[in-house]
Amino acid sequence: MTGTPMSPLQLAFVAFFGLAAVWFALVVFRTSSMMRSALALLFSQTALGALFLALQAEFLGVLQIMMMATEMSIMAIFMVMFMMDPGGLGQMDMTHQKRLSILAGVIAAVAIAAVALLTPWGAPATTVPSPADQLQGLGRELLGRSMLVFETAGITILTAMVAATAVAMPAFERRRER
Amino acid sequence: MSLGLVLALLTAAALFGIGLYGALSQTNLVMIMMGVELILGGALLDLVAFWRFLHPGSYPGQMFVLIVMTVMAVEMAVGFGVAIARFRARGSVEMEEARELQG
Repeated sequence: MTGTPMSPLQLAFVAFFGLAAVWFALVVFRTSSMMRSALALLFSQTALGALFLALQAEFLGVLQIMMMATEMSIMAIFMVMFMMDPGGLGQMDMTHQKRLSILAGVIAAVAIAAVALLTPWGAPATTVPSPADQLQGLGRELLGRSMLVFETAGITILTAMVAATAVAMPAFERRRER
Repeated sequence: MSLGLVLALLTAAALFGIGLYGALSQTNLVMIMMGVELILGGALLDLVAFWRFLHPGSYPGQMFVLIVMTVMAVEMAVGFGVAIARFRARGSVEMEEARELQG
């Protein structure tokens, strides 16, 4: 396997982008402005993409950043369309069962962190394949053993798009078509 | 154990916890979807970290990341479809008022 081991600088980037992802994730639910929420989620997911880059998964990192930039822009547009107060000027409280939710979130995070810390993961890999080798390996995986899974994912997205459009059509139009 | 792996797994745990809090506590459909996105983001990070530190030479891990990204896209498409139908029918996407998804 060719490649370079993780340097202290890369570790620092992993920590920095990890903190950024968590910080912006917290901001999503702490601000009363829905637009800020959508942008905070965009930054959180972009930090996650940068974290993938720091973990030397170049293709997945770039894919994550591109996908999330598009997805969150669409989400921001829907926010403006659907929300009664997208700017958060009225300081409306749009939460319920807050204590139960905090408890569930904390228990889940602590349980996962405990599993992460207590499991003997074994010796970590010191090097990873170069980006070109990774792309080649992933391409062979997609068009080889996992081809059926990959094709199924494509069909699933197409089905979801058609189904979502059908659900979103106005009811009277659907009646007229019948 | 590798420090990088621990850092990535702890970040994923925090993202999952925050996402779960959001999905359970918000009353607006779009905000609930944001919580689900964060949960899936945590899962993505776990997968990439496991690939990087445990099995960098095999690619089913990266393949699984693409599948989770597909799930994220499908969730958005169906979620916004339901949101549009709900908004047309009731003029709101507040889930407190939704007892059923009849439209």
